Amino acid sequence: MDITGKKILVCDDSVLARKQLMDAVKEVSDGAVFIEGKNGSEAIELYKTEKPDLVFMDIVMPEKDGNAALSEIREFDKDATIIIVSSVGTQEQLKKAIQLGAKDFIQKPFEKNQIKEIIELRLGGKN
Amino acid sequence: MYTQFLGNYLLQRGIVNQEQLFKAMSRLSQTHIKLGTIAIKEGLMTAKEVDECLYVQSREDKRFGEIAVERGYLTNDQVNELLSLQTPDYILLGQNLVEDNVFSYEDLERILFEYQNDTELYDLSLDVENQETIAAIIKKFFLLAEMPVNETNVMYLELMFNSLIRFVGEDFSPLTPMVLDEYPITFGVSQAISNNNDYLTHIDCDRDTAIAFASRYANEEFTEFDEYVIAALEDFLNLHNGLFIVNVSNNTSETIALAPPEITMEGVLSGPNKCVDFPVAYPFGTIHLIICY
Repeated sequence: MDITGKKILVCDDSVLARKQLMDAVKEVSDGAVFIEGKNGSEAIELYKTEKPDLVFMDIVMPEKDGNAALSEIREFDKDATIIIVSSVGTQEQLKKAIQLGAKDFIQKPFEKNQIKEIIELRLGGKN
Repeated sequence: MYTQFLGNYLLQRGIVNQEQLFKAMSRLSQTHIKLGTIAIKEGLMTAKEVDECLYVQSREDKRFGEIAVERGYLTNDQVNELLSLQTPDYILLGQNLVEDNVFSYEDLERILFEYQNDTELYDLSLDVENQETIAAIIKKFFLLAEMPVNETNVMYLELMFNSLIRFVGEDFSPLTPMVLDEYPITFGVSQAISNNNDYLTHIDCDRDTAIAFASRYANEEFTEFDEYVIAALEDFLNLHNGLFIVNVSNNTSETIALAPPEITMEGVLSGPNKCVDFPVAYPFGTIHLIICY
């Protein structure tokens, strides 16, 4: 699948989690442009300046958590495609993420197939 | 998880050393239980009878079951029944140690008897780990550590052992916990948990151990102590503590919060009361799970 030039924002406070996610995307298809953020505030800022096609975002992050960032990004762009990737989340947090407009939820540690499915579903028809 | 507890039991009593234990543990997935071992476990044969059949087997081209039936130690039905039994890994660990000449079948028979009495494992269905028994064994760890035994503490440690099995590997043995006023940090990651009480959790180890631990956790081959290794330890503790707060919030009405993990390269850990060190030995090194409360 060709996703050349597609912008993917990966926002997680863990450098390892960001690397693993980007590696998983690269295995599906090369060519995407990655933008990295370490917390919710950076995610909002980067979304506004870079307007990515897809966002992978953790929930528990310092400064501003994933749900707060999700909410602000959706206010800015109601069509934002945001996927929550989290190792944990209480049921309340997950419910809130869905209510705030998260398109999907992936549990860490994730399987590469899950990333493949997301890329195909969310970027496959956007060429 | 019984395998890890048996490992701890053998180490504590000086029956094995760490090298012997890890050598035997490393072969768990490649070895199969032998009929003689399971016959001892089931109380159908004595160690002497098994040794006798093994001796005969070394001289005659016959199956162990066939010899045991010929000598009247087992019936054909018993052989079939034993062959169909699922055997837990802790029995396999004992068998591997016999094969490594660490102890004899006769010793294994006695050790298993004592271990099962001590941990009240004797009523256990062999292939199912009993939740209550696991909790009872973990309670003993807290008693050893002079730490309050309550449902939340037991859940925390049980989940930690499960997280280690799931994300790092099952070839570890918990060592004897130690109560400390303070703990000097080598390198580690700390994370505070707040509910009715505040806890500081911390994982500590030397750098080589951290590299090996991170390699297993991330399923990547790290060779130097870099940001990915540090992040792997952070991720592990965050993941484990996160699972814990989800369990607590799903099972109780307690409000519980998790602070972001923090990297600590030096200093001393202490709590308002005590710190407890739960060391866990892996073949690549020992990691210390510290809880200050």
